[in-house]
Amino acid sequence: MRVSRWSTALAALVLTTTACSGGGESVDVGGSGSGGADASGAQLVAALSAEPDQLDPHKTTAYASFQVLENVYDTLVQPDEQLEMRPALAESWETSKDQLTWTFKLRNGVKFHDGKDFTADDVVYSYERIIDEELSNAYRFESVKNVRAVDDTTVEIEVKRPTPNLLALIGGFKGMAIVSEENVTSGDIGRGPVGTGPFMLDEYVSGDSITLTANEDYWGGAPELGSVQFTFVSEPTVALANLQSGEVQWTDNLPPQQVEALGSDGTIETGVVPSNDYWYFAANQARPPFDDPLVRQALAYGVDREEITEAAKFGLATVNQTAIPRTSQWYYDYAPYSYDPERARQLLDEAGVENLTIDFMVTNEYPETISAAQVMADQLSEVGVKLDIRTEDFATWLDDQAKGNFDAFMLGWLGNIDPQDFYYAQHHSDGANNYQKYSNPEVDRLLDQAGQETDDEQRQELYNQAVEIIVDDASYIYLYNPDVVQGWAPELKGYTVRPDRAIRFHQASLSE
Amino acid sequence: MSDQASSQAPEAPAAEQRFQTLRAVLANRLAVVGLLVLAALVVAALFGPQLAPYGINAIEVEDRFQSPSLDHLFGTDELGRDVFSRVLVAARVSLQVGAIAVGISLVAGVTLGLVAGFYGGRIDDVVMRVMDMLFAFPAILLAIAILAVLGPGLTNAMIAIGIVYTPIFARICRASVLSVREEVFVRAARSIGASDFRLLRLHILPNVLAPIIVQTSLSLAFAILSEAALSFLGLGVQPPQPSWGRMLFDGRGFIEQAWWMGVFPGLAIFVTVLAFNIVGDAMRDALDPKQRSVIESRGQS
Amino acid sequence: MARYVLRRAGQAAVVLLGVSLIVFALMQLVPGDPVRVALGTRFDQETYDALRARAGLDQPLPVQYAQYLGNALTGDLGVSFRSGQPVTASLLERLPATLSLAGVALLIALLIAVPLGLISATRSGKVSDYVATVFSQIGVSIPDFWMAILLIVLFTSTLGWLPPSGYVPFTEDPVDWLAHIVLPAVTVGVVSGSILTRFVRSAVLESMGQEHVRTATAKGLPGSLVLRRHVLRGALVPILTVTGVQLATLLGGVVVVEVIFAWPGLGRLTYDAVAARDYPLMQGAVLMFAAVFLLVNLLVDLLYAALDPRIRY
Repeated sequence: MRVSRWSTALAALVLTTTACSGGGESVDVGGSGSGGADASGAQLVAALSAEPDQLDPHKTTAYASFQVLENVYDTLVQPDEQLEMRPALAESWETSKDQLTWTFKLRNGVKFHDGKDFTADDVVYSYERIIDEELSNAYRFESVKNVRAVDDTTVEIEVKRPTPNLLALIGGFKGMAIVSEENVTSGDIGRGPVGTGPFMLDEYVSGDSITLTANEDYWGGAPELGSVQFTFVSEPTVALANLQSGEVQWTDNLPPQQVEALGSDGTIETGVVPSNDYWYFAANQARPPFDDPLVRQALAYGVDREEITEAAKFGLATVNQTAIPRTSQWYYDYAPYSYDPERARQLLDEAGVENLTIDFMVTNEYPETISAAQVMADQLSEVGVKLDIRTEDFATWLDDQAKGNFDAFMLGWLGNIDPQDFYYAQHHSDGANNYQKYSNPEVDRLLDQAGQETDDEQRQELYNQAVEIIVDDASYIYLYNPDVVQGWAPELKGYTVRPDRAIRFHQASLSE
Repeated sequence: MSDQASSQAPEAPAAEQRFQTLRAVLANRLAVVGLLVLAALVVAALFGPQLAPYGINAIEVEDRFQSPSLDHLFGTDELGRDVFSRVLVAARVSLQVGAIAVGISLVAGVTLGLVAGFYGGRIDDVVMRVMDMLFAFPAILLAIAILAVLGPGLTNAMIAIGIVYTPIFARICRASVLSVREEVFVRAARSIGASDFRLLRLHILPNVLAPIIVQTSLSLAFAILSEAALSFLGLGVQPPQPSWGRMLFDGRGFIEQAWWMGVFPGLAIFVTVLAFNIVGDAMRDALDPKQRSVIESRGQS
Repeated sequence: MARYVLRRAGQAAVVLLGVSLIVFALMQLVPGDPVRVALGTRFDQETYDALRARAGLDQPLPVQYAQYLGNALTGDLGVSFRSGQPVTASLLERLPATLSLAGVALLIALLIAVPLGLISATRSGKVSDYVATVFSQIGVSIPDFWMAILLIVLFTSTLGWLPPSGYVPFTEDPVDWLAHIVLPAVTVGVVSGSILTRFVRSAVLESMGQEHVRTATAKGLPGSLVLRRHVLRGALVPILTVTGVQLATLLGGVVVVEVIFAWPGLGRLTYDAVAARDYPLMQGAVLMFAAVFLLVNLLVDLLYAALDPRIRY
């Protein structure tokens, strides 16, 4: 799950998103429910920063869509709050001795929202849809040779090579949801998805709101809430006002500069949890002088991560010199750089570089890249480096990135869980996303080996070695892991903020 | 150009007319204030960076969101930059966009209008139908669509605004040409064998200048307004270059804590546009009392 | 008259055809490939080609245009890249919000323009004329988006009287609808009203200068009667005309305001489509705006012809 998946969401900048409503008291849609809702169950109104583009989990790439779909669909396995993979539609699984066959035992008696039974065929259909139609998550099945239904409750996945991160690949997020074939072929899935999750779609008013009602037959137990209405509020200040006035009870769109003050007064609860996302900048190693590690290291010493984080995120992020956050079991404490303009100048001297001007590419899709770049420009001017900021819309940005048309750029990777997702595509010589053209045979070897290693401790050791080299070579210059920030009314109980930004209202309830 | 024209006789001596125009404009006290404001803007545009008390990109994160004070007249923004300095320096961008964009529409529109009005017939039909097509879009929407093609940025914003305001110049110019084309002095010149180019340049153009000059002044106002709107939508000037519209765009999320981020850049746009409008109106009153240019051109914005 | 109507309608159709060509051409020139964006940072040639072929983007341009035009004539404007929904449906879904905003804004504009314009014309040169002129000058110069921000700060953040943004359909809750529509409609209305004020003023002035009006005054009819019976009647046609043109521009002018107030109308849809590079939606929305614009202008022209006896064909 790459940047694209979250693109709409993170562009929570006031103007760049689809959003609307929630401004008023349009809370009650009572009566319009199409049944299934527990009359006594309370309605939670949640303000999203953007409107979903569509609700087909296999096709959307917008975070807003996944916020809704998280509550509508299930995957075979799903990450718990520590991001460890747990049973969901699959009750259990095992792997063959050669690690090439995974067998999943499915939960019995699960029904789709339309009453149809969930079977192994649905799993096969869903996965084959992603693979055959080459949807954007097809890459997750890259090592998969075959998916087949052994019987109604057994699915077998054959892989070409040992794939220890298969669970993360098929369960990491709802883009890998199990969908209903009829729902797809009828063409309804984009606006009226039918899943197996704790809530089902009730009403979708374009530009205004999406309402879900509780699925009383949910395999994990009926939700406490009667319904959840998602409204779309692009303005953080508006979302906050709505939360304070009680029109909404939950939002992830708080004005960052106010979060600290909000937590203290007790009228609103805020949850701030480090996420698995990371933001970085990278220099184009195909272009001199950035092929020289000394120059890249100079940049790594020349930026003050603390100040960048404070400026771009109002402190709602943790500086990090590697990709994986402190909270992950895969975290490796390695931070060789410090803000040291003197050292940076020395390194540039050593490399024989003077009057360096960097064509630095950022995108208005992610406004924090623009803020951070401006701060970095100010900092790097101290070491005699001029940062020419080039702001582009995301389409052009992606084009230029793919063509290598940049000296350096800043972006983030979002929602990764397994270390292989954090490092392979970005730093392996053959990595699909190695746009900075980094190539180090030792790193390639370590990553190849780690990708097939099934022993977690061994894997960790291999990744640690690779990471040290990557950071020393300054292939990416890592900046920070942003926090997941959400706020809700004190009446909302049983809700937890998760590091993968998934929002699940299954266990939540509203007290009077 | 008009000096040469005066030797060809029967039109009003240009120098005298210019003097009268100036006197009429100066007689309007409001217009004088407008002119003074514009003069101040030109100074800010030329010497902004020298006059600004702080660097426009001097970031002091610990000084962010300072309210207006003697140190920071207009306060500081979310990165701790001095808002006054940025507003001052941004005057250059605004005037630059105004001048270049209007320059584009002026040259393109007047050329097309002259040709269409002078030759008439099929050329006129084709040119004016194309203008109609451009006119069929709401201006800001057309500008947005053009920027979607060209990509956001200062240069492209100027081109987009230039294209959007071309039809109004073409129309005004064409209408004036039509009314002058059959005048005695034009027919006289034609009868003695003057070339088309000579006719256009020496006889027609000088006589259709008045409405075009008025339109130019008013279009400057709308071009500046359009640039601000486009930058406000994130499509115009890109950071770190300061622009009033962009400053409002960036300040949107912070207005509750820092009202000054929302007030001063907007005020700068407003005062500038107002000054251009007032001066433009005064010039219209002096040059071409019958024309309703503000309304016509604003009707398209 | 019938011939005139046909001729004008024909002209409008030609312009619309040209507009569709311009829009189509613009969209072809857009840099950044929508398919590329749909794939995000993860990219491989095979998936890319498949997606392009599915969207018909591998056909030659004239073929694409002909197909587009043919479909457009049957009301099919294609399918949105982002949502997978038919473009026509998406546009129609957003139309009521925009129409209601434009309607209320126009009403506000008229409520401002007619009295102000009348006062300013009948008391030409007096203080009230001056005040009206200054007001309209300010209204024309104020950036609408800035006014929107100031209104939000004042009525929402400071006074807390009105909701800052959003939309409630009239049919759902009229009071709430009103509360939501006030600020955006005032923003659009004041700007339009300022422009209209000047038009009303000059139309009334012109009408007062006409023969029959001067005769009526000379006959000693009371001023108010002259104003009602002769001046207003004479000024009605030009005012109606401009109002029509204003309605058309209003529909375009709401783009920025819809964005600020999170108004789920066509303007916001267009803006989002541009931001998301959703070609089919962008194409459809721009075309629709132009079509509405042309239609309103056509109607105004015809109405003008029908109302003004001086115009002959």
